[in-house]
Amino acid sequence: MIGKIRAGLAFAVLAAACTFHAPLHAQDSMKQDKMQGDKMMQDDKMVHETKTLFTGKFHGKVHATTGRATVYQEADGKLVLRLKDFKTSNGPDVHVILVATKDAGDDANFLKSNTEKIELGKLKGNEGDQNYEIPARTDLAKFRTVSIYCERFNANFGAAPLEKF
Amino acid sequence: MDTNGKSWSSRKKWIFAAIGSPALIGAWWAFRPEKLFINQKVNEAAPFAADSEPQPIYTGKLEGKAHDTSGRATIYEAGSKRYLRLSDFTTSNGPDVHVLLLRTEDKALEQEIVKGDLDSVELGVLKGNQGDQNYDLPVTADLNQYQAVAIYCERFHAIFGVARLEKF
Repeated sequence: MIGKIRAGLAFAVLAAACTFHAPLHAQDSMKQDKMQGDKMMQDDKMVHETKTLFTGKFHGKVHATTGRATVYQEADGKLVLRLKDFKTSNGPDVHVILVATKDAGDDANFLKSNTEKIELGKLKGNEGDQNYEIPARTDLAKFRTVSIYCERFNANFGAAPLEKF
Repeated sequence: MDTNGKSWSSRKKWIFAAIGSPALIGAWWAFRPEKLFINQKVNEAAPFAADSEPQPIYTGKLEGKAHDTSGRATIYEAGSKRYLRLSDFTTSNGPDVHVLLLRTEDKALEQEIVKGDLDSVELGVLKGNQGDQNYDLPVTADLNQYQAVAIYCERFHAIFGVARLEKF
């Protein structure tokens, strides 16, 4: 009799515990909301829209650098880096480069170090929104930091580590 | 003698000038000091049609508090409508879990278990503990003040994860 009561109690406790913890282990509530405003497309059709791939914020103290760097993929597959709300100090021979690091400090010296880099072009302006083409087949899993780089003085004005958007 | 000395000093001047001016020009070219005061402003358009698609206005990465939570939280604006989208989202499943907006300076963002009342904007019950999902923002939600997203279990006052949003 006591055994039965014990078993019953144990079962009740177990059942209560299960109702409490069941959701913790159930992964059945997968959701996949469509982007709102997306045009629904058939699988066999090309999706004609610009995708946002990576984004990151600029930091830099030696030459105060602020703003956001975002990598877009256009409908035709072309990769574009866009600097937005961007501001840095003006300087001679300043370039926008991608470097194969996770991030870059103010003292980063890409010319002397053997860090791989991809040149995107001369900085178009030290203030304002601007776009740069990224060469096709650039491995963005490897080149994960945007640097505003003064080649003449080997100075990293600012860097933005890119993260998946 | 006198004329000789004069011509010598004027020749010296020429030599100084001949050596000095290229050095000065070189230094100017290298340092371009005027650029300290001159800004070069640009304003290129975005590489997409800005009005046809919802635009991200705030974004941030989710970090785990009481439970491992990861992914990205982004607020989009489509005309007058705004919504929060969680992408690459994973948290633990749980009972009565909600999506909230909190104030950026809210101490609850540092806590795992909230004591007392929570000043928040309710966006709804968490639709799923994994996967991409959207939540409409109330028209009255003030994004200048409420710039943090919290995944919050109301039953246990547990903050599963938070994301501090930054301007996109």
